[in-house]
Amino acid sequence: MRKAGIILFWIITSLGVIALVTLPINLQTQLIASIAVVTFMAVIKILRAEGTWRLTALAFGTAIIMRYVYWRTTSTLPPFNQLENFIPGFLLYLAEMYSVMMLGLSLFVVSMPLPPRPSRAASEGKYPSVDVFVPSYNEDAQLLANTLAAAKAMDYPAEKLTVWLLDDGGTLQKRTSPNLLEDQMAKARHQELQILCNDLDVRYLTRDRNEHAKAGNLNNGMQHSTGELIAVFDADHAPTRDFLLETVGYFEDDPKLFLVQTPHFFLNPDPVERNLRTFEKMPSENEMFYGIIQRGLDKWNASFFCGSAAVLRRQALDQTGGFSGLSITEDCETAIALHASGWNSVYVDRPLIAGLQPATFASFIGQRSRWAQGMMQILRFRFPLLKRGLSIPQRLCYMSSTLFWLFPFPRTIFLFAPLFYLFFDLEIFTASGGEFLGYTLAYMLVNLMMQNYLYGSFRWPWISELYEYVQTIHLLPAVVSAIVNPRKPSFKVTAKDESVLVSRLSEISRPFFVIFAVLLLAVLVTAYRVYTEPYKADVTLVVGGWNLLNLLLAGCALGVVSERGELTATRRVKVTRRCEFGLDEQWYPATIDNVSVNGARVNVYAKNLGILPLDKRGLIRFTPYSSGHEEILPVAVRNTQVAGDIVTVGCLYLPEAARDHSLVADLIFANSQQWTQFQMSRRGNPGLLRGTIWFFGLALYQTSRGIIYFFSSPGARDKARLAAEAKR
Amino acid sequence: MTRTALLALILLASHSLPLRAQVPFDMTPERPASDAPIEGSRTGDEPASRPVVVTPAAQPPETEAFKRYLLPNGNLDMNGESAGLAWSVYLTPQQAATGAKLNLGYQNSIFVAPEVSRLSVEINDTKIADEAVRSADTVSDLSFTVPKDLLKPGSNLIRLHADQRHRTDCTIESTYQLWSNVDAEKTFLSFSGSDARRLQSLDDIRAIGVDDDGLTRFNFVVPALEQPSTTIPLMRLAQGLAVLADMPNQSFSFDTRSTAETKPGELTVLVGSPAELQPLFASLPATASAGPVAGFVDDPATGSPVLVVSGPTWQAIGAAIESVVAPTDVNGPAVRRDVITTKRWRSPDAPFLFSDTRLRFSQLGFKTEEFSGRRFRTDFTIGVPADFYANAYGEAVILLDAAYSPTVLPGSHIDVYVNGNIASTVPIASSGGGILRHLPINVTMRHFRPGVNTIAIEAMLESEEDKLCAPGATGSETPRFALFDSSEFHMPDFARIAQLPNLAASAGTGFPYGRSQDATRLFLDRVDADTLSATATFLGRLAAGAGHPIPVETVASPALIGSRSAIFIGALSQMPETVLTQTNIAETSRTTWGSDPGGQDAVNTEAALDAWREKLRGGTFAGWLTVFEDWVKENFDISLSSLRFASVSESSFAPSQETTLLVAQGASPDGSGTWSLVAAPTGKDLRDGVQALSAQGTWGQLAGHITTYERGTKTIETVPINDFDFVETQPSSLSNYRLIAANWLSTNILTYAVLLAVLGVMLGLATAMLLNNLGRRE
Repeated sequence: MRKAGIILFWIITSLGVIALVTLPINLQTQLIASIAVVTFMAVIKILRAEGTWRLTALAFGTAIIMRYVYWRTTSTLPPFNQLENFIPGFLLYLAEMYSVMMLGLSLFVVSMPLPPRPSRAASEGKYPSVDVFVPSYNEDAQLLANTLAAAKAMDYPAEKLTVWLLDDGGTLQKRTSPNLLEDQMAKARHQELQILCNDLDVRYLTRDRNEHAKAGNLNNGMQHSTGELIAVFDADHAPTRDFLLETVGYFEDDPKLFLVQTPHFFLNPDPVERNLRTFEKMPSENEMFYGIIQRGLDKWNASFFCGSAAVLRRQALDQTGGFSGLSITEDCETAIALHASGWNSVYVDRPLIAGLQPATFASFIGQRSRWAQGMMQILRFRFPLLKRGLSIPQRLCYMSSTLFWLFPFPRTIFLFAPLFYLFFDLEIFTASGGEFLGYTLAYMLVNLMMQNYLYGSFRWPWISELYEYVQTIHLLPAVVSAIVNPRKPSFKVTAKDESVLVSRLSEISRPFFVIFAVLLLAVLVTAYRVYTEPYKADVTLVVGGWNLLNLLLAGCALGVVSERGELTATRRVKVTRRCEFGLDEQWYPATIDNVSVNGARVNVYAKNLGILPLDKRGLIRFTPYSSGHEEILPVAVRNTQVAGDIVTVGCLYLPEAARDHSLVADLIFANSQQWTQFQMSRRGNPGLLRGTIWFFGLALYQTSRGIIYFFSSPGARDKARLAAEAKR
Repeated sequence: MTRTALLALILLASHSLPLRAQVPFDMTPERPASDAPIEGSRTGDEPASRPVVVTPAAQPPETEAFKRYLLPNGNLDMNGESAGLAWSVYLTPQQAATGAKLNLGYQNSIFVAPEVSRLSVEINDTKIADEAVRSADTVSDLSFTVPKDLLKPGSNLIRLHADQRHRTDCTIESTYQLWSNVDAEKTFLSFSGSDARRLQSLDDIRAIGVDDDGLTRFNFVVPALEQPSTTIPLMRLAQGLAVLADMPNQSFSFDTRSTAETKPGELTVLVGSPAELQPLFASLPATASAGPVAGFVDDPATGSPVLVVSGPTWQAIGAAIESVVAPTDVNGPAVRRDVITTKRWRSPDAPFLFSDTRLRFSQLGFKTEEFSGRRFRTDFTIGVPADFYANAYGEAVILLDAAYSPTVLPGSHIDVYVNGNIASTVPIASSGGGILRHLPINVTMRHFRPGVNTIAIEAMLESEEDKLCAPGATGSETPRFALFDSSEFHMPDFARIAQLPNLAASAGTGFPYGRSQDATRLFLDRVDADTLSATATFLGRLAAGAGHPIPVETVASPALIGSRSAIFIGALSQMPETVLTQTNIAETSRTTWGSDPGGQDAVNTEAALDAWREKLRGGTFAGWLTVFEDWVKENFDISLSSLRFASVSESSFAPSQETTLLVAQGASPDGSGTWSLVAAPTGKDLRDGVQALSAQGTWGQLAGHITTYERGTKTIETVPINDFDFVETQPSSLSNYRLIAANWLSTNILTYAVLLAVLGVMLGLATAMLLNNLGRRE
């Protein structure tokens, strides 16, 4: 009853707002109202008011956006009989309406995200049996060794925990391939991994045919296992020790729970972060999704499976016939099917795995193409809005997640719309200067402020636009093909173990330079037209300003596709852990300063140790989290620095036994706290103004870097082209 | 004399005859409206009310040819490269049958190049003159024979058009130096023979025409005018005549004695019983002693026709008046008119728009035109009702079908003016020529007013040739711009609610008196010739706006009015106190106004302050603030005073010493009626003031809640409406309320912002409550 009353009250107020914003008031009133709203929102933002005030600010923003939509719909479309203006004008209108709709959907999703749940690790409970699935296709043994060792080292009763390596790279089909090379590689892999699994006490499982890709592989695993719960980790996603303790408990609370999803935390930067050097100081791209959107989805019981770092209930999966494999994003598809049959999901906002993401721009795009195409398939085959069994909020949430991937269309339109005017003199948006100020500018300001309000600490200003732009160029054809031919896209495993050793342009960078050149030309045309056509300088300046913004984005993207070479192949993780360093039978007190999957840096307290010879064998003795007694990891010295009594030794692991992999995993992955701390260290909202100034500076610098790369390394460019052609 | 008496005797005698039924004066009051003579339709048989025309005893002396002046508003100024006027002139059957000559007198600017400039005249769409414009030195007199049978009884459309080009200059600015002035005094139809002069049927009232200054006068001779009981019928007659003639500049004068000869554009109206009239007018129809008589009689003294309205008693005179006025009642208060009649001063009539309407330019009297000059201008009129309430937010749309040639340069523009105020500008931004097909031009309705509105479209065309301006370039006949009559004017649905007070609504359509079924109370402080003249002129104006006579009822004492709608006319000092209170006029002005003709020249504080502000602007912070305010005002039309929450209350108004007439409006004490006040210091001021105010050029300026007229400077000033009441005129509907709210909020800008803020906070609260109760919470 009370709920009904509240809903009624909300509907009445909403109708009131709608009635007010759809009044055909004059421009003066609109201007004053816009100024009032923007000021009000700014004040709330400056005061960092939360709770109801946050929602009030959002309500204000919504009102201005609705006014914009009303005005845009009723008074700005070019007349229908001027087709040359109407068609691009209408496309632009559709693009804007798409953006507004997406903003509306995300408002629904994240207007009041669920606060992070308290830690479950401490609470005692029943320990249901868990099968850990690590599906693999082509990852190398060392990477798998770390993941499997970390999975094996999870804090959980050993008899309840079975770790499975589901190898799709050593299937019978591959081992008997007519392709000799493939056949031999598969056989060798089959052999090697079986030994590794034996050493690590992990079950190795492969199958006859590579059917239904990852989903088929997982379903095959299900057929051979019996555990109540199934945890899924990608081959490069190493869990922390407390992973199961933090997640399993929820299944006991809710018998209808099918999924506990945890965030994906990445040790290495994505190509954008790496090339812009923002990994250490700016929140990662995926943090917006895992930091706030999944929490928002969780409020509506719509948090969905992301393919890895999650625990699922076998009973639920059995009911819907295992993992769905119709689309190439089997994870989200599976979650829709289970949500639709009345199962619940929970999201735990705490990084409990650490993984890798694609290092090169090309494989980054490859990964995103898969997501985008998969989401298009879901949109096509499982249209969430009309999916029976889903609650209304769940439908909206899934629509928000899938429709998001249509962004290449509006992004393309926004990119080229100003050019219609600047190059062809088409008027695709009819508005006066005053109206532009009163409606469009207010809308843009309010939009930016709302974005900043919603995602401020997770996403800095203009970064969304940058990510969308760099993906758009190559995603647009992928999305179009998925829409035109939804059954065509096939699952491609994203390569994550590449590295860029030499600075070079990405092999798919060419379109970015072409677009940049076109936009630059448009800036020149702007200047020329302002000079030669002073009677419409105002319109030209507004459109030219828009184009300039596009040029900044395009310039920044040049930096993104200019891949920086890196000396270290893997990312180092800062840890501070006491140990002893053994050299020639002598033990010195030491601390481990940082670690990577390949080696560690150790500060050794030793007088007169001097510079150590290269490849000298050493030992690190420390107490792993898992066992409680000291163990020894053999290493080789790669470099030494002496600073007084402290000798800093860089060393390479020399894993000899399977246990050594576990020790390495323990050093890097065991502690979930360190991932949280790292994320927190770069979380922070620079604010709209500071963020914008920072971004513009970044864009200018990256533009120059991109141009320098372009002109300084023609050889590299040719090589890149050759590589691309070879690939084709 | 004896002859008249004899006739009267015969008629009296005929009363006893069985043929009585055929007596012309059958004053059946319930004459069906459909029988009313419709202008122009002369074929209809109108049996009952056809008045007897008494042939006067003596033939009037043969006079010179009868001049029918044509220009409805006096001298006609035709400015720019393309200018003209179309209007219709009502002619009697006799005039139409008589051969006529058209006389045209004009003078033009010295800059007009005669080789390439033409002045043309069309009558009923037949061109009868097409002359080079070559009369720079003096007013030239042209005379054309109007072909036989071209003139029709009833309305005849006359179209004057001037195409003028500059002798030497090709700039747009130079086109403002081009003018031709058509002289009203020398522009007329001249009819030979005295028949043209005579008026016979009552319909011929419409042929009253204008004098050589564009004025139309009804001179009432009423010996008994000071008897209070005569006022109501006289006002009814005056209004009926005003509606019938419907000329743009009509005035009424009352006298007890006969005045001088009737001039063109004048009509003498004798009202009274035979006994009253006998001393003044010899040739009264004999029937007047027997029953109601209304008809034309030629004045034996002057030979000009006189309208005699007579009867044995004032009751009978009332009946006679009805026979004149009744046809005008077709558009009663309940009738919704399709057009506002304007054709006597510009043709066609203005379509009366009440809701969403699309009108093609061809329906608005525009014909496709190709133009080779640099400043093209055309205009049309539309009417909006008194309850039009969309000034603040509304926008009409012109869907323009036009074309421009490749020679037209970007930077040219098309401007739209509403009642002389710029309402929209569309730049021509692309070169190489173009065809605009239904290009939407939003026209702000800010300057729309109840009644007739003039919308002008002006194209300013720049071209490369004009920049070079080779000799003879101005005469080029290659069209560079065309406006097609397939263009449309689209009036959207607009908010409809009346405001009280609103003098503009009264001026435009006689609102609210024109809509009232109940008689409007009329309070005259004294019944004399001046007051009656002013009252008749004022009421005649209202009636012409409303399209029908407004029923009035005089009251002897203001106390009898109560709260009903009323009009108060007279000296301010004699007005009841409540009237001044209700119209916000300072009580003190009752004694001060008009009593101190000297009037000290006090420094105008407002003006002085403005001067000082101007002097001190710039430099200081406050100066910059003013600069900013000016900038905002100029670009966005927002000033500090427009930032308001709601209407402010009216301050008390005192007319200045120079003011000679004051018109004010206010609500009656309980708000249910509308009180209008027309006041002047003296009777003469009243009469002259109302006459000046009701002229075509000035009546449209009647607006606000108070309007004043200064005779010395001939200026009109208005006090804008600040505080007003809404008066519902439409059945309640959500869409109308929505538009009303839009207009009100667009006027009271801050209220909108506050409302949005309040609703925003409420929505925020509601959403917070909703989200706390829906989905998962923790």
